[in-house]
Amino acid sequence: MRGPSAERSSGAYALIGRALVALLLSMLCAAVLIAFSGGNPLSAFAAIASGAAGSPHQIAVSLNRTAPYLLAGVGVALCFRAGVINIGAEGQIAFGGLGAAAAAIALPVANPLFAIALALLAGAAAGAAWAALATAIHLFRNVHEVLATLLLNFVALLLVQQMLAGPIGQFGAGFLQSPLLPAAAWLPQLAEGFEAHLGIFIAAAAAVVLSFLLWRTRFGFALRVTGRSRHAATYAGFSLPRLTWGVMLIAGALAGLAGGVEVLGVHRRLIEGFSLGFGFKAVTVALLGALEPLAVVPAALFIGMLETGGQSMQRQIGIPSALVAVIEGLTMLFVLAATARRYTA
Amino acid sequence: MAPLLEMHGIERSYGSVRANDGIDLTVAAGSILGLLGENGSGKSTLMKVLFGMIPPDAGSIIFKGRELSGHNPAAAMEAGLAMIHQHFMLVDAMSVAENVMLGWPAAGRILARSRIATQVREASARFGLDLNPDSSVGDLSLGRRQRVEILRAVLRNADLLILDEPTSNLAPAEVSGLLSVLRRLRAEGRGVVFITHKMQEVLDVCDEVVVLRAGRVAGCVPVKGASRAALATMMVGHVAGATSTAEIHPAGAARLQVRGLHARGIGGIDFELRAGEILGVAGVDGNGQLELAEVLAGLRRADAGSVALNGRDITHANAATRISAGLALVPADRARTSLVRSMSVSENLMLRDSGRAPYSRRGILRPAACDAKALALMSSFDIRATGARSPVARLSGGNQQKVVVARELDRAPAVLVAHQATWGLDPGATRFVLDRMIELRNRGGAVLYISSELEEVLAISDRVAVLSGGRFAGVLEKGEFDLSRIGLWMAGQGGAA
Repeated sequence: MRGPSAERSSGAYALIGRALVALLLSMLCAAVLIAFSGGNPLSAFAAIASGAAGSPHQIAVSLNRTAPYLLAGVGVALCFRAGVINIGAEGQIAFGGLGAAAAAIALPVANPLFAIALALLAGAAAGAAWAALATAIHLFRNVHEVLATLLLNFVALLLVQQMLAGPIGQFGAGFLQSPLLPAAAWLPQLAEGFEAHLGIFIAAAAAVVLSFLLWRTRFGFALRVTGRSRHAATYAGFSLPRLTWGVMLIAGALAGLAGGVEVLGVHRRLIEGFSLGFGFKAVTVALLGALEPLAVVPAALFIGMLETGGQSMQRQIGIPSALVAVIEGLTMLFVLAATARRYTA
Repeated sequence: MAPLLEMHGIERSYGSVRANDGIDLTVAAGSILGLLGENGSGKSTLMKVLFGMIPPDAGSIIFKGRELSGHNPAAAMEAGLAMIHQHFMLVDAMSVAENVMLGWPAAGRILARSRIATQVREASARFGLDLNPDSSVGDLSLGRRQRVEILRAVLRNADLLILDEPTSNLAPAEVSGLLSVLRRLRAEGRGVVFITHKMQEVLDVCDEVVVLRAGRVAGCVPVKGASRAALATMMVGHVAGATSTAEIHPAGAARLQVRGLHARGIGGIDFELRAGEILGVAGVDGNGQLELAEVLAGLRRADAGSVALNGRDITHANAATRISAGLALVPADRARTSLVRSMSVSENLMLRDSGRAPYSRRGILRPAACDAKALALMSSFDIRATGARSPVARLSGGNQQKVVVARELDRAPAVLVAHQATWGLDPGATRFVLDRMIELRNRGGAVLYISSELEEVLAISDRVAVLSGGRFAGVLEKGEFDLSRIGLWMAGQGGAA
């Protein structure tokens, strides 16, 4: 799937190489930190690795963790490519979860295929609607997109909380959550006894579709030109508002899908704070994947496995899983330092 | 008495272009020297050499009886030279006094604010600069910011002040204020080099004027007794090679009709561009050239008036509509507008045509067809690149411009607007671009050729308009090109044709 592009053939792959070096450096730093706090870095990394992929169960947990990061991450990558800095995935994911849960509860369909499709579509629509609100504020009121998307995150989280405290909450649960969703809407497991759900396939398919969109369609060309030079995009006859609408709605729908997948596949109900931090992880994986949709796949997988492994490391050898956050942060820093020219040029 | 500054036989080349080709120049203490010339005549190169920003290839500089060589700007300032750039070197968030102290060793390591403030007040009163040391530079008008620069030079005891087009950003009242400040500097025995292309200002304030053309001194005369027409002719010169398209082309139907066009930077332009003609737009850059090109191409809003292409009103059409209606644009700004540097030759060739065959079908790009088309254009326009996929940034300036020209001409446009289409190109690439314009004209296309390179405009145009102050100062037909009239129009003199 090679487009007539110079950036793709040389630039993106070189950047991915640099991202890998950055990754190694961050592991090295983490090793030093673990050693300082009295742990054994090798056994810690071994615990992370076995916790992430040591058994079918662990692999399934890792894949389920990866799916929402990947879905939202490729959407963020698309926005960043167009020079639209969308930090709103957090709220769009939460809204997507709300939409999916609300649809599954309000419109119970017996056929699983229809039930799942309906709930996921509702999630995507809800995510896109939340992104549309930010886009409208950005374009019509001239508010910078970072502010519009970021601040609406908090509003979205509170709205979801409000809904759980009212119309779709489970009365007397002692915890803000919805009733269990109808079983027809649950995402099927990939195999008997293997808890990974369909979400990872949906996410991988989204990455492939977005890669095609970015490199092989006129829309993708227009957004790459826009991300490089707004002057050139205007000169080329591309409409900047239309492009902004396009990438924001796609990213919002994907983030909404991420929320829907998490709700239908993992929790099978809407829980307060089910997606806390997912939207920011989406930014991390997008940058880690050098804004290249197909490279966001391993990036999301890496973060998903790291977090799953980190939790089991804490259980097994008592090194706090907060260390995983440190590794994530360091990786981010090194990747940004290694690829800085890309984002400032 | 020995002169304050003597420059002898200054030579400086950029690649194959001789920007300064043996220039002599003398400034006496207590005098104002006007330095007059078109864009690209070598004025700024000469002043950069003097100020030590670039070394000369040959020649000597003697300032206050001592030879200056191998110096840098800091040494030049130390020696008593000061340069006031068109774009001010001031920090907006700081006060006038703080800007004066900036990078001035005499201000001391521990800042003596009150002493500097007193000095600022004294000097301000002495020169009638009317500056308050405490006001923030960001709040000042452009004219006042310029006075801060002058004040800075004066307090550092500069003996020679170089002002690079100091009046281009000023309102008329501020211009007369600046001229009286210059007179005061002269009365104190300082020397001033006043770089400009406005003849009236030279006649008003200068003692002597040096006219540069194509890197050489075209004339050096005392202002007293100099005539405007003589200076204009010196500036513009006689035009070589204007005979390449000597036969007069009968123009066809009207392609582009512009009526009473107003926009920011443009104050009422009317013209008609006909099939099979090149209308050259001459003039000093900054007189509405960029604005005219952008309004016509749909990149800038027209405030009033109308533009019609082949009889169809496109005054408010967007850029995409204009492209498909047959309006091509070669913009002046290659770095940001007409090319995306990190993208491939192939992608840049389809930049404005990605929606049509062979580049895409129903919104899906066709990479193989794009590359094949790119290779075809690369061979017919002689674009030298390692391949269709190599980034356009790796190409030389001439090859980059060929990419732009190839893209705009491949569409077989009804009207081509070209703005500074040969900027920064070597003579071979320049010839190539000009030949393509003539070719388009001969095939019945209409070309609006906007350039500050007068020789090129005269060489290829069937009619020449002079853009000055956002309006056409006059239009001449081929066969009646009159350099002194054009020079006067360019200098902002004289009315309509």
